[in-house]
Amino acid sequence: METSSNALAYFIYLPVVIVLTWFVAHTLFKNALIFMLDIFHGRDDLATSTNKLFELGFYLLNVGFALLIMEVSYVISGNQALLEVLSYKLGGYSIYLGIMLFLNLYLLFRGRRISKQRQMMMELAAKPSIEPQQ
Amino acid sequence: MNLAAIIIYLVLAYVITVHVGWKFYTNGRVYILHLMENDAVFTDAINKLLLTGYYLLNLGYSAIMITAWEKVENLEELIANVGTMLGRILLTLGFIHFINMMVIYQLSKTHKNPVKK
Repeated sequence: METSSNALAYFIYLPVVIVLTWFVAHTLFKNALIFMLDIFHGRDDLATSTNKLFELGFYLLNVGFALLIMEVSYVISGNQALLEVLSYKLGGYSIYLGIMLFLNLYLLFRGRRISKQRQMMMELAAKPSIEPQQ
Repeated sequence: MNLAAIIIYLVLAYVITVHVGWKFYTNGRVYILHLMENDAVFTDAINKLLLTGYYLLNLGYSAIMITAWEKVENLEELIANVGTMLGRILLTLGFIHFINMMVIYQLSKTHKNPVKK
């Protein structure tokens, strides 16, 4: 009697996906905090809370997407089919995670650039009022 | 089997919704406070409204989704169904979260006095 391996596939898929998402989010947002501190000019509470909010959103979107693509609608029979379907799903998911990672990096660099520009503008605007006093 | 699936789904959805909502509420306050230029009254009002709207939207959505439940006959269908349903909720949550942050950011732009700074 051939039993289907669908449940086995889910039991392998779920832990791998959750650990992968956790690892990427953990690494990304540990390092993003430095960017955030830079963007908010060392205002720690604001930087950490913004970082936390982005981390939550990242988890929600990615875990949600991972769960959404989990279902295999046909019966998986045999080890080869199991391996193939798992590698397809996990590979696709990690490509998606990579794209999300780079999107986040882009946002961080952009935020940093804009914040730098704003600071420069403020310094320029502040200069004339200082010079006459000297 | 259907009942088991629905119970697992509801418990998970409830735990995730409340946990995430609480995190948004506590972390979001500082964020909104800064964007509203330390206007604490306005901030608390917005924060409470956002939390209430969030709970209503989510719990309502997860309750409505139960009516669209397919027939569950074995373990793999249970995992697949619960997974898909939760996935949808999480995705919508994520989208709403980023839209919220964007709206608050836009609000702060109009709320700020442009002459100041």
